[in-house]
Order: sequence, then C-alpha cells, then structure tokens
Amino acid sequence: MSLLTVSKLTKRYGRGGKTLAAVDDVSFHVEPGETLALAGPSGSGKSTIARLVLRLIEPDGGGIEFEGDDFLALRGAPLRVRRARLQMVFQDPLAAFNPRATVARVLDDPLRIHGVASRSERPRRIAALLERVGLAAGLAPRAIHEISGGQRQRVAIARAIATKPSLIVLDEAVSALDVSVRGQILDLLLDLQHQERIAYLFISHDLGVVRAIAHRVILLDGGRIAESGDARTVIDAPQSAVGKALVAAAPRLDRSRP
Amino acid sequence: MSRLRRFLRTPEAVAGTLLLAVLFAMALSASLLFPGDPQAIAGPALLPPFQDWSLPLGTDRLGRDVLAELFHGARTSLAVGLAAAAAALVVGAIVGTLAGFAGGLVDEVLMRIADAFQTVPGFLLALAFVSVVGPSLGVVVVAIALGTWTGPARIARAEVLSIRERDYVAGARVIGMHPMEIAFREVLPNALPPVLAMSSVIVAAAILTEAALSFLGLGDPNRVTWGGMIAEGRTVLRTAPFLSIVPGIALVLTVLSVYLAGEGIVETTAVRRGLS
Repeated sequence: MSLLTVSKLTKRYGRGGKTLAAVDDVSFHVEPGETLALAGPSGSGKSTIARLVLRLIEPDGGGIEFEGDDFLALRGAPLRVRRARLQMVFQDPLAAFNPRATVARVLDDPLRIHGVASRSERPRRIAALLERVGLAAGLAPRAIHEISGGQRQRVAIARAIATKPSLIVLDEAVSALDVSVRGQILDLLLDLQHQERIAYLFISHDLGVVRAIAHRVILLDGGRIAESGDARTVIDAPQSAVGKALVAAAPRLDRSRP
Repeated sequence: MSRLRRFLRTPEAVAGTLLLAVLFAMALSASLLFPGDPQAIAGPALLPPFQDWSLPLGTDRLGRDVLAELFHGARTSLAVGLAAAAAALVVGAIVGTLAGFAGGLVDEVLMRIADAFQTVPGFLLALAFVSVVGPSLGVVVVAIALGTWTGPARIARAEVLSIRERDYVAGARVIGMHPMEIAFREVLPNALPPVLAMSSVIVAAAILTEAALSFLGLGDPNRVTWGGMIAEGRTVLRTAPFLSIVPGIALVLTVLSVYLAGEGIVETTAVRRGLS
C-alpha cells in the first residue's frame, strides 16, 4: 500500500473572470522510504501541489490518501494530530520561522503540541534533535535570525523530524542555499531517509539536485504531468518538451554524479 | 544601547520624556506631599497665586489648595489616560487579530461592529455611556476605550492580513498548532509594532477626552480632575483666571509630553525595524 496516493487532484484559481487551473488532474503515489521529485518550471503547479498535500489550501477536486486514510476528510483536531506524520521544509529558511523565535522554541513547539516529550524531558530532546541534524546543542538558546542560512535549514529539518513523520514535503528546500551547504543538506536528507525510512516529496526546479536525491520524478508543465518515471532515466533522456527544456536550461548538469 | 543613544540624540523626545517623568513624579508623590483630601478647604477663598507660600498657587472659589488639586489631578489624568489607551489597544489588537486571521464571516461581523462604533463620534459615545452608567473612574476608562479601540483594530487587522500569508504561519499549521495559538502567539506579537506606534496619540487623546468629560461634570465626583478644575474656574474666569489657566497648562504639557515621548520611542524603534 502506498504511503501517499494523490488522485485526480485539481486546483483552480479565478483571475479576472476566467479560471486558471494551477493543478489539473494530477495523480501520483509515494511509497514508504522513497523520494519522489516534482520538477517543472515556475508556475507549473509544483508548490501548489505541496500546499494541497499539506492541507494548507483545499483542492477543487480529487483525493488525497495518506497512510491509508482519506486525508481530505480530516478536519480540526484529528487533522492536527495527523499532521505529526506529514511534515514540511520550506524554501526560505528565514521566512519559515517566526522572526521572534529562538531555536529552542522552534523545536519545542512540535514536541509540546504532539505530546512527544514531557516538559522536563524536552530540553534533552531538543539537544538530541540538534545533534541529529549535525548542529551543536549549544545553539538552542540562539535567536533564529542569529544563525546562518545552512544552520537554519538544519533547524527546519530538525523541526520536521521532531514528530517522527513518515513523509516530509521539501518545497525547494535547498534552492536558497549556496552550493557547498546544499550538498551537506542533501547528504543529511539522504542519511535521515536511510536511518528512519522517511519518504520525501521533493519539489525542485533544479534537475541536477533531483537526479542526485530522487528515486522517481514527475515533470510538471502548466499544472499537468508532462512526464514521469525513474529519475535518472527521465533526466538523462527526457521525452517531453518541458523535460528537454529543463535539461537544456541546467547550465552544467553533472552526469557523472552517482 | 545604540537605540538608547539614538533616543537621547532626539531633543524633543528627551524633553517629552523628562516632562512625563515630572508628571509621573507629581502623580506618585501627590498623597505624600499633600496628604489628606485635596478637596478639603485649606485657606481663604480665591487667594491668588504666589501670595501665601504655604499655598503657592493660591486657592479656588471654596478655598481649596490649587497646587494640591493639581498634583492629585495629575494622578487621575495619567491613570485614566493610560488605562483607557491600554484597554483600547488590547481590545483593538485582539479584535483585529481575530478578524484578520479568521477571515470570512467572523471578519465581516467584527469589522461591521467596528464600523458601527466608528460612525459615532468617540466623544459622544463616551458622553452617552457615562450618562447612562454613571460617573466613576472605571466607567470613564471604559467610555473612552469604547470610542478608541477601532483604530488599533483596523491597523492590527491590516497587519495580520499580510502576516497570515507568511511561511512561518503555514509552518505553524504544518506542525499542528491550534489556530488560536497561531493567532495569538505567532501572528499577534508580529502585528503589534504598528499598533503600538499609535499609542502616543491614543494616550494623548484619552487624557483630553477625560478632561472634557470632567469639564462637563461627568468625571468621577470623588476625584480631583484637571477638567473639573477648569470647569470650576470658569465661573470666576474674569476675577481669577489662574484657576482655569493653571490646570489648562498642566493639561497641555501632559498631552505634549506624552506625544513627544511616544513619538521618540516609535521613531527609534522604527529605524531599528527598517534596518532589520
């Protein structure tokens, strides 16, 4: 059974009298412990899909099944409880946190909300989470705006794994990072997937990164699926027009990468 | 520290703060320097200022010590002004946050209520409220807050509307935070700076409204108020103008100092926000 099954998902936006389908009849599934990449140019609907899957916006049609349950049928408290299993990492690690927050508070929230650890136990859990993502436990009292972008994205990952999710949506999670930090974060994500069998829905416009991390890829164009399949097969020999354009647009796609 | 230095470099802010400090000192020391009832008769009636140094500012129509009244009046003015402004800001921020964050029907209902309050002039509203409920300090505070909360509510709502689309609010939803906690712990504190920027104007307006209510005899009758003193002096305006002038000057200085100090604080924090 698939971890996440998305079927015929549709989201329309009205703009100046006519409606525009941001996501048009999109179906896919994610298996446990697998990385599925959603790639495509700007406006192809990939971030809208991420937000639909996370129930941050509501679809106009279609279904989302998560861990065997109809995810769209959940609301209120049961939805909030289930959110522990489905987490997200945002593109801009500065915008993703309350500007007034400290590292400790950011990590304390999910532990408290989902009752993962008691109040007295939480500082230890926060230290363990920071170490798990390769940060010093001493970072906890620092304000979010005081740490570097790479450290912030590690904190975002620590927050995402705090409640032991089975799926993490990574919305352009490494796009805002510089190249050396990007490699480290990708290594961390691969390591976490290996250890905890977390599945990723990896959203990116960068096919080089997609090829390095994803098992399968779906190429989107104008809200529709243009092409899908094994990540390396698709990226090495794209069949669709949008796939060819994306590969051609990547300046120096490293084909020798493992 | 640099914020304090920037504040100190603004002369009008420093002047406002010093003046405000003096007024606070007056209010706090009122019952130490002038123990007993300030409304008790202290000497001959209508004694002009600077004649008898035990009564430096003279006495009013009933022989009450004007200086003692002035000190005790500072207490009422500042207490009512600050309490009413605080109430208006708290209610306004909460209503604005709820309206902006919840959206839809809640937003419509709350904002139409705000409209209803805004269409009635604030002073008339306060006047009507005090006339119906009866004058006491708490009622005056509520009456003034009734006419003032809509401004902060509108600003808070506008700010919340922009904040609620930010990633960190989506992030709070993703980790399963309750909407009320998101509204009041994640959104409200970040929506506050522009709301607080209004506070100096609101406090100043509240002090004036209190004085106007007292002038019309709708202040707390058991307390000395500057507005009441001006009204008292009005009857003998030709023979003893100082009775109206002295509390009038006190009122002007208070409103001015609140405004200058408040603007100074806003200015220095605004620069800090602009940089970050």
